[in-house]
Formats: sequence, C-alpha cells, structure tokens
Amino acid sequence: MHQSERRSRWLPGGLAALLLVALPSLAPLAAQSVPARKLLASLERVYGQGLRADSIALDGATVLRVRRNDSVLGFAQVRDVMGKDQPITYLVATDTALVLRDIDILVYREAYGGEVAYEAWRKQFRGRDARDSLVVGRQIRGISGATISVNAVTLGVRQAVGQLAEWRRAGRL
Amino acid sequence: MPHRPTIALSMLAAMTAASLAAQEPEAPAERTTIGGYGEVHYTNRSGLRSPGEVNVKRFVVFLSHTFSDRLVFRSELELEDTRLEGGEDGGEVALEQAYLDYRLSDAATLRTGLVLTPVGIINEVHEPPTFNGVARPQFDREVIPTTWREIGVGMVGSLSASRGLAYRVYLVSGLRADGFGGGTGLRGGRQGGKEASFANPSLTGRLEWARPGLKLAGSFWYGGSANQDTLIGTDSFDAPVLMLAADARYDAGPLSFRGVVVRATIGDAAGINQAYGTDVGSRIQGGYLEGAVNLVQLLQPAAGQRLLAFARHERYDLHAAVPAGTSRNQAYARRVTTLGLAYKPLWNVVFKADYAIFRNRAGAGEDEALALGVGYQF
Repeated sequence: MHQSERRSRWLPGGLAALLLVALPSLAPLAAQSVPARKLLASLERVYGQGLRADSIALDGATVLRVRRNDSVLGFAQVRDVMGKDQPITYLVATDTALVLRDIDILVYREAYGGEVAYEAWRKQFRGRDARDSLVVGRQIRGISGATISVNAVTLGVRQAVGQLAEWRRAGRL
Repeated sequence: MPHRPTIALSMLAAMTAASLAAQEPEAPAERTTIGGYGEVHYTNRSGLRSPGEVNVKRFVVFLSHTFSDRLVFRSELELEDTRLEGGEDGGEVALEQAYLDYRLSDAATLRTGLVLTPVGIINEVHEPPTFNGVARPQFDREVIPTTWREIGVGMVGSLSASRGLAYRVYLVSGLRADGFGGGTGLRGGRQGGKEASFANPSLTGRLEWARPGLKLAGSFWYGGSANQDTLIGTDSFDAPVLMLAADARYDAGPLSFRGVVVRATIGDAAGINQAYGTDVGSRIQGGYLEGAVNLVQLLQPAAGQRLLAFARHERYDLHAAVPAGTSRNQAYARRVTTLGLAYKPLWNVVFKADYAIFRNRAGAGEDEALALGVGYQF
C-alpha cells in the first residue's frame, strides 16, 4: 500500500513540474504574426550578418530586397500556405538570379507534419528555381506522416518562385 | 517600382513582421475547418461462388476550430458500418479524437483530451490513402488494438529541427484487464474515453527520427490494468501492461517499404485469467513487413498518378508466452500474407484490390479473402 501512496504523491508533483516548464513560455494568445526575431535569424542564416533590406511592394505583396553594403544578395518573401487546418508561414530566399538559396518554416501550427521544418527536408529546395518541377515524388521527396504539410509547402514554394520569375520577366524585380 | 527607403534588418525586425506576412490573404484568427475520410469495402471470405459482403466501413468527419494562433480544437467523429440500430450487431458512432492543442513553442504543444495512442504506424495515421490493403493490417487490430485512444494530457513537439527529432508523450486513462482475451489480446481492454476509469493512469509516448523518404520511430505504453479489482490488485500499476514498438517507413523512387515490430508483456496474466476465466497470454509479440512498387513511375517517371503493387507479411503470436495454468493455443500464432494493388489518381484518393491468406500454427479455421475498396481523405 505504501507504494501506491508514493506514486500518488509523484503524480501531482509531475503535473506541477509540467506547469512550471510551460508557464514562462505563455505567449500572447492573439499573436498571429511571425516573430520578428525568428525572421531576422532566418535571413541571417541564409545570407549572413550585417544585412540591410528594402521592401518592394508588388501587386499587394511585399518582396524584401536583401543587401549588404551596396551589393544586392537576393530576394526574400514571407508567405502563408494552408495545411490541413492551419496556415503554414514560410520564407523563400533566393539569390539575385531568383535561384532558391533556402526556404524556412517560420510558424508551424498543425497537429501533425512538423517534419517540413527539418533542415534535411528543406535543403532539397536549395539551388532550385521556377524552371524546376517542384513536385512531391519527383524533385522533392516526401516524409511519411507529413504528406499534407509536405504537399502544401512544396506547392507554396512553387507558387512563390513562379511569381518572382513573372515579376522579373515583366521587368519589375 | 515603389520603393521604401532602405532599412537595417535589425530595424526591420523591430517593425511588426506581421506586415510582411499580410501580403497573403491571412486566414481569420477564429475559424472552423471541416475535413474527413472514409472507405467502402467489398469483401469475399468464402470463395467467389458465394456472395461477398459490401460495407461502408468508415465515414469520418473531421472538425476543427481555431480559437487563436495558439489554441486549436480538433475532433474526428466516426460512423462505422453505415448505421447504428438498437438490438443489432455492428455499427458504431464513436469519437475517434477530440483534443485541445495549446501551442507554447515549436518544441512544446500541450495536448488535452481524447488522443490517439502514438504506438506503431496505423493507430495515428490511418486515412485509407496512407496504407496499402483494403482493410488495415490484422496486426493493427489484434496486436496494436487500433483505433486505440484514451483521455489524457501530454506534450508534443519537435526536439530539434536540424536533427529531425519529434516526440509525443501522454498521461492517459489505462487499459482494463477484464476486457482482455486470449484470441483478441488487449483489444477489449480499451476504454476509448467512454466514462473511463482513471484507476490506472498510463504513460504512452513516441520518439521519431525523420529524413526525406525515411522515418524511424520507437514507441511505448506502460500502465496497470487491474482497475481496482481486488481479485488482481488495487494499486495504480497492478497487472501492468508494457508495450514496446519500433516502426520504419522508407521510400526510394518507385519503391516503398514499411515495417512494425511489437513486444507486449502482461504482468499477472495468471491472475487475470483466474479472475475472469480467460486465457490471456503473458507476452504478445510479432510484426509485419510490407514492400510496394509504383508501376506507373517505373513506366513513366514523370506521371503524377500512382499504381502500387504491394505484398505484406504479418506474423504474430498472442500466446508468445503463457502464464502457469494457461495452455498455449497454437491458433493464436497467426500469419497473414496480403498481395494487392492500389491505384491513386491523386495522393488523397485510392482504389484498392487485394487477396489475403490467413494462416495459423494450429491450421484451424484458416481462410482466404478477396477484397475491393475505395478510400478518400480531404
């Protein structure tokens, strides 16, 4: 019997520890935006330190022109694509020729499929551009159990590089 | 080309980054999403000369509500076998999942409610287009009692995006030994959140490692099953069930493979059998291996449609070990070989056909079945 008493003391203790871990990370409930620090860290990981950027408004969208000193390093865009029931917020980052330097997952909100944020999966997009067929099962390998997110992000990236290429063709970028 | 003045990125970070995301039509903060999956089966277990059986095996409605960017409720309501009528066999309306997710960070989401036990592959991921064969593997019925769900609280998240590790861990209501059976394993012991007893809080969890095309995972369940029955014990962890599982999924070009192994031990199986007059084994173990080839990709690599030919071999023993006083039943050492085809015009729609051969070590009641099916998810 004393064994079960010890266990019943252990359980509330475990729950209390869980709450202690969770409480400091309680963030504003209404936050619907990309954490700015995360976006900056993501851009610096792709392009390096000491970046400057100007934003270009195109057809209601915003493209960041990323530069260091006087040289343009590339273009970046923050976008949303719908997963199963949540938008997935992602970054596409290209060089000046609109070839993808990397993508990143800025906010992932779905219940299953967070594997799209893994570097091993994301790095498949490096060096790709609008001429590639960015399709799951061809140039992009999927991950079991993350099919919806994998398809959504791949579609989103394909649309992003296609849009950038269109603006470039029209002489607007 | 309307330009804004050049700004340092640190200032950009100070700017509300929401304005950057606002270029896309942002989903409203609070919204409701509907989805679903289902499958219709034709099964003939008695030879082609006699009639088969058709059944809307499952019709599942997925309903989720997003309260905020961090709080989401998700549920799945399932109707099995078309309808439920008083006094008739078959038919079930059941909540398959109903939980609230509170996303604290990428590393931790607090999950509370009726959750799926994260053991093996099929229990968590069982939308018909995701698995081969008309019916789910028999292993995922008799060894891992799919669909296995209990009420509890836990954490899920990604441990390290660069290393590709994710985890789920839950504290949930336990199994009940009075439902265990020799030939049915743990299946009858699930509570499924129906006025469930929390006499045996149980711990279950999963660790996954993923790369493109590859996913490896280990999972476990540990908890008592005595449910305060004085015949087998009143402590929380009396008549403990420990299930350990490992699973792997691998895709390489037109080829795909998956496999699962499970070893479950049932503590005090002798006491359970004595108390309830059953013949539960003290150890259940086995596994399955499946390989598939996408014939369309072999013939026409650029095609998006898929035609999979697959073979699966399941081998498990519900009496891998028996307690003193229970004799080993050779008919519980089962083997199932399934050969079949799956045609997927899209990733989320599937037409299936297969032939399954059921065998057991006793050679008793052996069977073969032809099955056809359609399945979808959205």
